[in-house]
Amino acid sequence: MRILVIEDETKVGCFIKRALEEESYAVDLCEDGARGLQIALITNYDLLIVDLMLPSLPGLEILKGVRQAKVQTPILILTAQSQVDQRVKGLDAGADDYLTKPFAIDELLARIRALLRRGSTESPGVLQIDDLALNPATREVTRSGQRIDLTLKEYALLEYLMRHTGRVLTRPMISEHVWNQDFDTFTNVIDVYVNYLRNKIDRGRSKKLIHTIRGSGYMLKAD
Amino acid sequence: MPLRVRLTLWYGTALALILIIFSTVLYFVTARSLRDAVDESLEETAAAAVRSLEERGFLPLVNEDELMSQFPELARIDKFFQIFSPSGTITIRSPNVKQHEMPLSPKALEVALAGRTLLEFAKYPKEPPLRLISVPIIFRGSLLYIIQVGTSMDSVEATLNRLLLVLLVSVPIALAVSLAGGWFMAGRALRPVDAITLAAQRIAGGDLTQRLTVPASADEIGRLTKTFNGMIDRLETSFRQIRQFSSDASHELRTPLTVMKGETELALRRPRATDDYKIVLESNLEEIDRMTRIVDELLFLSRTDMGEVKMERQPVPLDSLIEDLHRQASLLGHERDIQVVLRATAPAAVLGDELRLRELFLNLLDNAVKYSHPGGTVEIALTIEHTQAQVTVTDRGIGIAQEDQSRIFDRFYRTDNARTHTKKGTGLGLAICAWIVESHGGQLKVQSKVGEGSSFTVKLPLAPAAAKRPLTPS
Repeated sequence: MRILVIEDETKVGCFIKRALEEESYAVDLCEDGARGLQIALITNYDLLIVDLMLPSLPGLEILKGVRQAKVQTPILILTAQSQVDQRVKGLDAGADDYLTKPFAIDELLARIRALLRRGSTESPGVLQIDDLALNPATREVTRSGQRIDLTLKEYALLEYLMRHTGRVLTRPMISEHVWNQDFDTFTNVIDVYVNYLRNKIDRGRSKKLIHTIRGSGYMLKAD
Repeated sequence: MPLRVRLTLWYGTALALILIIFSTVLYFVTARSLRDAVDESLEETAAAAVRSLEERGFLPLVNEDELMSQFPELARIDKFFQIFSPSGTITIRSPNVKQHEMPLSPKALEVALAGRTLLEFAKYPKEPPLRLISVPIIFRGSLLYIIQVGTSMDSVEATLNRLLLVLLVSVPIALAVSLAGGWFMAGRALRPVDAITLAAQRIAGGDLTQRLTVPASADEIGRLTKTFNGMIDRLETSFRQIRQFSSDASHELRTPLTVMKGETELALRRPRATDDYKIVLESNLEEIDRMTRIVDELLFLSRTDMGEVKMERQPVPLDSLIEDLHRQASLLGHERDIQVVLRATAPAAVLGDELRLRELFLNLLDNAVKYSHPGGTVEIALTIEHTQAQVTVTDRGIGIAQEDQSRIFDRFYRTDNARTHTKKGTGLGLAICAWIVESHGGQLKVQSKVGEGSSFTVKLPLAPAAAKRPLTPS
């Protein structure tokens, strides 16, 4: 899951980025409103976190810009103002949820999970395919009830695959949603990580879940 | 007592007094003129009788018929006629005097004997009073007889009684009608006041957007309404400023709180390396310092608002102060590779508080250094213009946009550029500078262009010549 954080307070932006990365999200941080809008429009993010008070372009304008471009990415707004009208304006301009500064990190993460869940048609708390289960809240992955330990990137990759089961996921799609903008697309890092995942999930089992679609990418499916 | 009742009562009392005085005067003037008319008529009749008797050579009259033919005017029923002998006994009288004996009064006789005419009242029980005139007839020095003409005051009294009755009835009615009218008028005149009261209550309830409708007329109520609306305008503005200020203040305090809460929570989520904790603690310390600075400066500003900040008024040698600050600013600039140059100086002393003035110029120099690009130059100059000392601090830094220049002295106002350039400011420094300059009776101006730099000019009145410079021991 790839998230863009638009926040001008460097320290605030940094700890949000760090907290999200520790939860295996791919995070891009932007301190300038106008540039933030640009990035949001050209990259396919899964979630935007926008501070309402920004230099050069107010957060509200970013919301309007994103929604005018028909981008349906969920948006969480951060506001320092406790005034109700600011939040109302934000929600009306296309935001999906808000948090008032200062906020608890746990609440931020829970709201992000809720917003990401909202995108998929079936929205269970636990993602399940065959006997493989992934719980986004606890980040626990099990197969046939057996716990599987994954690194942050492996987990992020698996979550992305599980949210799009039965669909062919190309390497650019995977890199866009699992890695942030610092990722170098001309490497075989994706293939390496898919192999790591295979080793932990499919190895020694009769039923393989991760399939390679030759010439295009990967797919997660039960049969 | 409500104003309406009071107005009506005042008005009613005044009107009642006027009506009573008017009625009394009317009554007595009417009574007087009616009685005068009676007297006049009596005198005329008596004079006519005397003339007739004269024509007859003052021969005594023997009977009523003769009397009546002699004086046809006596046939009129409203008058009667009596003739007395000099001794006062009745010799003859007109036929309409029947019921009573009406002897000549001793006073009338006495006056007649003295040869004069007398007008008098006579009162008999159960009868209206009579008005009598007694005229002595004197021929060749001796009193022949006394002619008395009388008339009843009946019609005069009746007229007066009617008048009294009319007055007694109409005055209270007029008073009552006027009071009702007065009550109504007072209510009408006071209705706008009620409207003002209602609006004031709504405004006191917190709705500062309420305004009164200004009446078309420019009367007292119109002026009151305008004054009232003007007052609410000012109230609304200052409330808005206060709201803006507290929202700004809470925003400025919330940001460091957000950082501290976020970083601490993140650090506590899992075990970390010691260095990680150290970084968080150092960052938190920075935020604590920032908050302390904001709170200190806010406290100082609110004390200036309350007028609690004392200002010294001592002669301050501005030139040596500037030279000293130049050295300090040079150290500040050194860290960022910025050169601070003292362009000009002149001996100048101002009356004021040295500590505050130091704070003022240090703040301006600190800003100049902060918003300069590394390798840049900051200039200070102290010159004298007429009766003012002028200190200019110029940088070639990021500059301030035209639309921001009027607002940079507002509390918490920070331009986007300033926010991006340095995260350390509190947004209160220039507000404090402005206050210091103002309380020294000076002016603080800014000239700036985005990308080219800013120039802040402080003008302070020079100290009077006598206090020019404290003597330094040589």
